[in-house]
Amino acid sequence: MGATTYHPRGKQNILDQIGQHLNWKRFIFLTLLFMFLAFIIFPFYWMVSSSFKTRAEIGGREPTYIPSSLNLDAYRELFDPSSPDFQNFGRAIFNSLIIAVPTSLITVAFSALGAYAIARLHFWGKNGMLNGILLIYLFPGVLIIIPLFAMLARLSTMLGFDVQDNLGVLTFTYLAQTLPVGLYMLTNYFRTIPDEIEQAGLIDGCSRFGVIWRITLPLAMPALISVGIYTFMIAWNEFLYAFVFLNDRAMFTMPIAINTIFNDPTPRPHVVMAAATIMTIPVMILFLGMERFLAEGLSAGGVKG
Amino acid sequence: MSTATSTTRPPAAKPKKSRWKSQRAQEARLAWILILPTVLIVFGLVIFPAIFSIWISFHRVGLDNLNDVFHAPFVGFKNYQSVINDFAFKPGPLPPGWAEANILGKFWLLLTKWSWGAALTSIIYSFVSTAWTVFLGLVAALLLNRPFRGRGLTRTTFLFAYIAPIVGVAFVWRWILDPRPSGVLNDVLLNLGVIDAPMAYLATRGLALFLVIMFTGWRYFPFVMLMVLARLQAIDSTLYEAAEVDGANTWQQFRNVTLPELRYVLGALFLLRLIWTFNKFDDIFLLTGGGFGTKVLPILTVEFSFRLRDFGKGAATGMILLIILAVFLVIYVGTVMRNTEET
Repeated sequence: MGATTYHPRGKQNILDQIGQHLNWKRFIFLTLLFMFLAFIIFPFYWMVSSSFKTRAEIGGREPTYIPSSLNLDAYRELFDPSSPDFQNFGRAIFNSLIIAVPTSLITVAFSALGAYAIARLHFWGKNGMLNGILLIYLFPGVLIIIPLFAMLARLSTMLGFDVQDNLGVLTFTYLAQTLPVGLYMLTNYFRTIPDEIEQAGLIDGCSRFGVIWRITLPLAMPALISVGIYTFMIAWNEFLYAFVFLNDRAMFTMPIAINTIFNDPTPRPHVVMAAATIMTIPVMILFLGMERFLAEGLSAGGVKG
Repeated sequence: MSTATSTTRPPAAKPKKSRWKSQRAQEARLAWILILPTVLIVFGLVIFPAIFSIWISFHRVGLDNLNDVFHAPFVGFKNYQSVINDFAFKPGPLPPGWAEANILGKFWLLLTKWSWGAALTSIIYSFVSTAWTVFLGLVAALLLNRPFRGRGLTRTTFLFAYIAPIVGVAFVWRWILDPRPSGVLNDVLLNLGVIDAPMAYLATRGLALFLVIMFTGWRYFPFVMLMVLARLQAIDSTLYEAAEVDGANTWQQFRNVTLPELRYVLGALFLLRLIWTFNKFDDIFLLTGGGFGTKVLPILTVEFSFRLRDFGKGAATGMILLIILAVFLVIYVGTVMRNTEET
């Protein structure tokens, strides 16, 4: 960008070259870049490294910046039933998975169908529906949870099931958050698939469902994967609804379990960090592995918040 | 709009008109079948509750009559009055020592000793942290807009802050800001001689809100960065060449070429982030629990409903939140959007 691009290469002397590499613009650029990177990377380093510290290292007078060894005390407390402060974190992981996987699959299935209808078919109320989805994006979740709680409490006494500590009910409430996201992202994606391909399929005698199944969905695979991962992450990370709906330790999802460990009267940061590491690392790996699909999804509204 | 089925099809001939019509009806029927599950869930779990919460805010709903909520007694604006008069909602009295303090001292008292109340805290928190987030995002986007080795990896690293689970990152920052001397910030500042004794950063009025704002910027700048970066890369490079021919330096190029091109996207991002930040519950709740001058309206809403079990009052708080949100939207559309359209 700078004026340097217009220097004819041949005329440079050594001072020019040093100047070019150490000019103030470059200095500011590198300083800022370094600061950003340090502030992003350090917390994650601190999370992982703290999880491997011993009790002495974690509770010492001064922070231990590099743990002496890969100590697994914190992880033992999370998973080993014979440990004195056993947290049964495996159960929390299982609960999180049992919510996040169905949420993700149901969202992809329902929103793919709905998005196809909005993107391709002609029907009354279509634009109103799309605008409505956008409004839901902006709507505060704390406002929904009160009536939802009251409604579900009423329903549960009528139909005889528990609202609290019911993972099925929780999954159901997550769908309300993920379906608009999926519908919005997939509608935008379906619109980029040229309609001529589908028309050809229809002319060749495919039924409408045949066209969706054999042509549109395979073409939309990247978007379907990305919606699946994002909705998985929404359910995996969700805190507020789980916090309100879950009371029984055996039903806790990971965020609530971590919150409980954190608020324990005897502070054990290494255990909190170990649990946070377990929760964070899969998300990071998913993101790194699928970045090609996912980065685009972020700007398309994959993560609300 | 790819309403393609109707555009690519040749115009129907007259005798076939009835068939064409029925095909259209068939298409609409198919569309509704496809979208029905989504519509039902979203209506039942978002739109109906949203309307229902207006109803709840005008009724007395507590734990005792929760199972029979539809027969809750109507109380008019009592819930709203009770929220507005709540000491957690409205600004508190001026702090002691107010009269003696000079201007700077008064300002300092307002920041550190005065109880702002949830409404004011929410507004200040969301405006300041949104401005800070957009600023950080803009700087990060400008950094990543120039080519250098490892640019892709840097971008991915930046995005980590945004995609990592909130529980994980909030607790890491709490642990870094730990009040014991083993907290990283305490250790660093003690060694630098900035402070003499370890501080409880997230348990100090004023400082807690400042740090929550810093955290919000840290977590959400990558979203702004991504959007700004996309816009930056779409700017016509001939604009810069022309500016350079005219003798514009880097700063002038930024002011007169980049910034005008980004104006719309920055405005839209500010609004979107403002709304999302205003609605935020998790971040502040996990960082401070809503104490020490960081109690915002979403936290107050949840506290009234699920700690005090006064759902009517909670719903009224939520409605007030929504009204303030709507005011933001109207002001924004009336001023910022109009200005960007003019240019």
